[in-house]
Amino acid sequence: MRNTKILHSAALTSGFVLMTAAIPVFGQAATGAHPDISGYWELRYDSLSVPRASLVTPTTAALADAQARHDAESIRWCNNLGVPFIVGDREPLDIRQSPTVIAMIAKVQSSARYIYTDGRKHPDREDLDPTTNGHTIGHWDGDTLVTDTTGFNDRGATRIPGGGVRTPASHLVERYRLLNGGERLSAVFTWDDPKTFQKPHTYEFRYYKIPQISNPRILPCDPGDQERARFLLPPDGR
Amino acid sequence: MKSIRNVTAGLIVYSTVAFAQGTSGAPPDNFSGMWLVQDPGSGSFEEWFANVPKPELRPDIIEDNKKLEESAKAGNVVNTARRLATCPVGNLPLMMASSPALNIVAAKDEVLIGAESNRARFIYTDGRDHSETKAPDYRPSGFGHSIGHWEGGTLVVDTVGFPARVCDSRHPVMPTPGGGRAKDTTRLTERIRLVGPDDMTITFTYEDPTVFLKPHTFTYKFKRVPEGSPFENNDDNRDPAYQQRQLGSVSTPEQK
Repeated sequence: MRNTKILHSAALTSGFVLMTAAIPVFGQAATGAHPDISGYWELRYDSLSVPRASLVTPTTAALADAQARHDAESIRWCNNLGVPFIVGDREPLDIRQSPTVIAMIAKVQSSARYIYTDGRKHPDREDLDPTTNGHTIGHWDGDTLVTDTTGFNDRGATRIPGGGVRTPASHLVERYRLLNGGERLSAVFTWDDPKTFQKPHTYEFRYYKIPQISNPRILPCDPGDQERARFLLPPDGR
Repeated sequence: MKSIRNVTAGLIVYSTVAFAQGTSGAPPDNFSGMWLVQDPGSGSFEEWFANVPKPELRPDIIEDNKKLEESAKAGNVVNTARRLATCPVGNLPLMMASSPALNIVAAKDEVLIGAESNRARFIYTDGRDHSETKAPDYRPSGFGHSIGHWEGGTLVVDTVGFPARVCDSRHPVMPTPGGGRAKDTTRLTERIRLVGPDDMTITFTYEDPTVFLKPHTFTYKFKRVPEGSPFENNDDNRDPAYQQRQLGSVSTPEQK
C-alpha cells in the first residue's frame, strides 16, 4: 500500500517526464514460451495425497478443536480465508496466466491471489503487509511453475492439510505442472515453519480441468445469518 | 493542478506516436499489472465520482437524483440494508473509480480485473456470448456479465446483466458516475488500452434507454504501479471498532 501511495504521488508530479522518456516497446503479444496453466481447476475425491505432518508440538484434541474453531469463526464472519484454504477448496479454482502475473480466484470468501513471474523479489519485511495469501513470486523451472510465498498472517482459515497451521513465520513453496496433456494439474506444496514443523511438510493435489465454472462466480456470504452461525459454531461447542 | 495539465499534455503528445500493438486476438504482454486511477485530487470521492461529462438523463432519473440528494442531506448516509446472501456481490462503477489500484491479469481466454484488496470481475475473451445471463440460475452481480475481444492492443468489453437493485438503502439502484444508473437494462462498453508503457485509459459508455437520453461516455486515466502488490482488507465484521467505523466513515466531510 505504501508503494501505491508513493507511486500515486509520483505519477501525478512526473507524468510528462515518464511518458516522453519512454520508448514505445509496449503492446507486444504474449510469447507463450511456458505452459499455460490457465483454466478452471477442480479437486475431486481422488485428488489429494496428503501425509501426516511431523509437528513440533503434537496436536492434542484440545488444540485440534481450537484450530478448527479458529477456521470456523473466519468462515462464519465472512473473513478472507486465504491460503491454503482457497487452493484446497472443493469449489473450482480459476487460474489465469499472463506473462508477468498469474491470478488465482476462489469462489469462496477470499482475496484474489497473485503470483508475480516478472522477476521481482519479495518486498523487504518492513514494506510488506502480511496477508492471508502472503506475497508470492514465481519462476519457471522447465515446464514447472515454482512459487515462493512469505508474508502470511494468521487470519482466515489457517489449517494446513496433514497438520499444523499457517503462521506469520510460514514459508510455502509450490510446484505446478500440467499432466495428461493439460487435463490435470499437479500442485506439490511444501510448508516450512520451524516453530510448527520438525521438517518441511510436503503434499500433493491433482486438479481436474473443467470447462466452465457455474454461476455465481463468487459465493455471497452473510455474517448476519444467525442460523448459519449456529450451524458453524454450535453453542455447545461441538 | 499544473502537474495534471502536464499529464494531459503528455498523453496528447504521446498518443500521436505510433507504437507496437498487440496481435489482434491476444493481450499485449504488458497489459497486466496494477493500475492506479488518476484522481485529480479533489479530496472527495463523491466529487471525483461526479467529475465526468454530464450525462443526459431522463426526467424521472433527474427527479430521483434530487430525492436521493435530499435524503442524504436529511442524514440517510448509512447503509442500513442487511447484507443477505442473496445480495449481489460487487459494484462495477464504484470499483473502476476507486482509489485502490486495479489488478489486471490478461490471460488468453479471460481477463481479470481485481480491486486492490477485494474480489475480481471477470471478462470472458473466449468467444462466448451473454446467453448465461438468460439462464434461470443466473444470479446478477454488481460486476455484470462481461465479454471482451481484442482490437489490436485495445480490449473492448461489453457488459450486461447488472442487478435491478442492490442492497444499499441509500442507493437501491447502482449509481454510475455523473448521476446515471447501472441496472438490469443497462449495457456498458469499455475500451481499455495502453497509451504508453505505464499509462492506460478506459473509456466507458453507458447505454440504457430507461436512464439516459443518449449514451454517456467518459474516460479515466490510469498509471501503472510498478511492482505494486495489493494490501488485504482485514476489516472484521465481529470487530465493534470496525462496525463503528462503518457508521462514521460514510458521511463526506464538507470540502473547503
